Amino acid sequence: MLEDAVVRKVLGAALATGGEWAEVYAEDRLSHNIRLEDRRVEELVTGRDRGAGVRVVKGTASAYAYTNRLDTEALLEAARVAAAALREPPAAEVRDLRRRQPEVRHPVAVDPAGVQRTTLAELVHRADDAARGYDPAVAQVTAGYGDVRQQVLIANSDGFSTLEDRVRTRFVVQVVAVRDGVVQTGFDGPGRSMGFELLDEFPPEEVARRAAERAVAMLDSKPAPAGQMPVVIASGNGGVLFHESSGHGMEADLIAKEASVYTGKQGKQIGDERFNGVDDATVEGAWGSFAFDDEGTPAQRTVLFEAGVCTDYLTDLIRARQLGLPASGNGRRQSYAEVPIPRMTNTYVLPGDDDPEEIIRQTPRGLYAKSLGGGQVNPVTGEFVFGVVEGYLIENGEVTSPVRGANLVGDGPSVVASVDALGNDFTVKEGICGKEGQGVPVGNGAPTMRISQMTVGGTGGPA
Amino acid sequence: MTVELDAIVERLAAEATGGEGVEAYAELTTETSVTAFQGEVERLTSASSSGVGVRVVSDGRLGYAYTADLSDEGLRECLAEARANLEVSGEDPGNVLPDAAAYEALDGLFDTRQAEADPERKVALALDLEARTRAADPKVTQVESARYGDVVGEVAVASSIGVAGSFAVTHAWCFSVALATEDGQSQMGYAIDAARALDDLDIGPVAREAADRAVRMLGATKPPTRTVPVVFDRMVAPSLLGVLLTGLSAEEVQKRRSLFADRLGERVGASGLRLVDDGRLVAGPGAAPFDGEGVPTRRTVLIDDGVLQCFLHNTATAARDGGDARSTGNARRGSFKSTPGVSAHNLFLEPGDLDQAGLLARAGEGLLVQDVSGVHSGANPITGDFSVGVSGLLFRDGQLAEPVREATVAAHLLDILKGIEAVGSDLRFTTGSIGGSSLLIGEMTVAGA
Repeated sequence: MLEDAVVRKVLGAALATGGEWAEVYAEDRLSHNIRLEDRRVEELVTGRDRGAGVRVVKGTASAYAYTNRLDTEALLEAARVAAAALREPPAAEVRDLRRRQPEVRHPVAVDPAGVQRTTLAELVHRADDAARGYDPAVAQVTAGYGDVRQQVLIANSDGFSTLEDRVRTRFVVQVVAVRDGVVQTGFDGPGRSMGFELLDEFPPEEVARRAAERAVAMLDSKPAPAGQMPVVIASGNGGVLFHESSGHGMEADLIAKEASVYTGKQGKQIGDERFNGVDDATVEGAWGSFAFDDEGTPAQRTVLFEAGVCTDYLTDLIRARQLGLPASGNGRRQSYAEVPIPRMTNTYVLPGDDDPEEIIRQTPRGLYAKSLGGGQVNPVTGEFVFGVVEGYLIENGEVTSPVRGANLVGDGPSVVASVDALGNDFTVKEGICGKEGQGVPVGNGAPTMRISQMTVGGTGGPA
Repeated sequence: MTVELDAIVERLAAEATGGEGVEAYAELTTETSVTAFQGEVERLTSASSSGVGVRVVSDGRLGYAYTADLSDEGLRECLAEARANLEVSGEDPGNVLPDAAAYEALDGLFDTRQAEADPERKVALALDLEARTRAADPKVTQVESARYGDVVGEVAVASSIGVAGSFAVTHAWCFSVALATEDGQSQMGYAIDAARALDDLDIGPVAREAADRAVRMLGATKPPTRTVPVVFDRMVAPSLLGVLLTGLSAEEVQKRRSLFADRLGERVGASGLRLVDDGRLVAGPGAAPFDGEGVPTRRTVLIDDGVLQCFLHNTATAARDGGDARSTGNARRGSFKSTPGVSAHNLFLEPGDLDQAGLLARAGEGLLVQDVSGVHSGANPITGDFSVGVSGLLFRDGQLAEPVREATVAAHLLDILKGIEAVGSDLRFTTGSIGGSSLLIGEMTVAGA
């Protein structure tokens, strides 16, 4: 994408005013997105985006300038703009660039760019047919497929450079079901760091059926009860909860600012000793995986909780240096238009030994959260709220009637502390995580898990 | 530079051949942001980017492509991709380009003071904001984020049907997030100001408000479950209106994804309630002389005296409705990367007479909601179910009392709208397309312990 000589020149210009460290990040991104709605292909969009950013760092301060031109002149101008934040004599040099080789790869079997447009149109139509065929109550179907090929070049004044070709594909279906004036929605959206072979693993019909199933099941729901109760969270969904309520608080920028409930908790026993959690960017082909993070640090597996003890935080290069922690390979950015910040990748609660069905049988009364919507967390207090998009009552150890409008309220450390059953199953859910206005792909995984006591908000009165 | 964007979109529009319509929409954006932390500039970002999106329509089909590569070759490829994408798209009466219509320029969108602002003043403002937030109260232990940001943007659109226009805007804003700590509990408080130029930003009140909002939440506990009058703070109200806004788009109505479908002419809110979108209100950040496809903007009353009057339209939704339906000038694009959707420019509830203190006095006893969380999962614009986490302060005899957290409120959105007893006089726009005022809801169940 860029010649080494050009990169060195740009890094040199970036360090001309006293910066300690400089970096060039350049990317070229080609994407295809097709969307069906109302039984027809509403749009197919081809996008070409590219650009580069130059970062100059001194201590914990950084200046960043970007451009969406990739010519030498534009890059040098960006370097000068970033360097203008400092007014000192040069203090660091640019070392010779050595290319880092990836330790993990995420193979692509079928290049999405070679797939015919008509094939994409067929996919979304197949999903539409399958969802509508599932139940007459299905009133609306939105089906979409997207792929992106992102070529990333990263080089810094320490003399490292990386080149990565990331390919991601995702297939999503949203279904609206209507019966007797009640409207419910269902969603499914698997994604992977792989090529078009994603569709072999997740045929459109199956994705559509799962989305339709969720929407239709909730048609017979009654308002969820409110109050404290045990909550069993279906496999996969506990990962979303863990990501939001604990993972964010373990991102080192919040730790450094003492703005996290997990500040100073390293080495502390928070949860039951069966509780283990990791963030792992090395999982082959997973949605949140990569070979290098967006600062060129190799992908890693970072242990967040080991036997209930809070272990490592998620760092980018600046926070690692500031806190004297290892660089965990969690510096990520949405695009060249953003600076990297500590972010999660694939965040997993590891499975335990319990039989998932037995977990429910051992719960006399509670809520079964089969599917969670997005959530929101206040990292300072760890408090969160989660919508339960598909939920059921548990009565006498059995999953019974569907309930709607439930949300889960609590805080991260309390959830970790009150997990009292972990299934031997495991599922991952894919999503886009937002932080400081930047969205990045993340995977969240967990077994079926039970939280012994949790606040459930609902409109159906006291439980 | 505007000349260059104009030239690019006009050249693309002129490429149209028999039977097809071609529209090009281009943007050029220059941004700066400065984040201060502990007396130093933690981060300074400066950027310039541009791109163009090309829409091709023919026989009721649509093709779209965008590119950040504005070279001749990049533009040629982009147009070719858009044409190829059209081949697999479904037919839809909405796939038409708007007719050319004269638009009236809008004064006050572009402030030359901002375009010429010295970067050092931006840095100084962020540092000053951080220092003042820290100094505002001894219980403020950290300023989680103190940031200044600005945008100078230019937009140009042209089509083979004769649409042609361009304009420039400036925005400047600053916000502060204070962190207060006492007895091992930490609380955050957020405040923001926005204007067309940094000269008009008033950082004193932002610092004070951020600190106050954090400090007054110290000692918050989970409240008992009760049904009480609720006052939503003006900074919270946009989250609530944002959920409603989705359902007021004709696109969502046509796709049967709106709780307002089939409710035109019906009472959906309290009497006296008026919901307006005004694309020409320069005080709002969404003001523009024309929308994302070149249709002139206007003021649209969506709800009048509690009765639903109309939906927001772009050219596509109006064409789909047929008959007398016309675009309301509400084609909006996230950027050049997307086709025009439907959204508001500046949406707000017409303000009433009482400020927030007046609303609290009127309600007597209840909960002032300072923050809501979980809106994107807990509020469903299709079903109208609304269930969110809230924190804030209880009030008695119109006076603020103890802080509460980890509570939830749940109700149907239409019941909330119908339950609005008064809209505050404190309407403000900051950075989003929705203005906020304090809202008094007669009664809601606040679930806590």
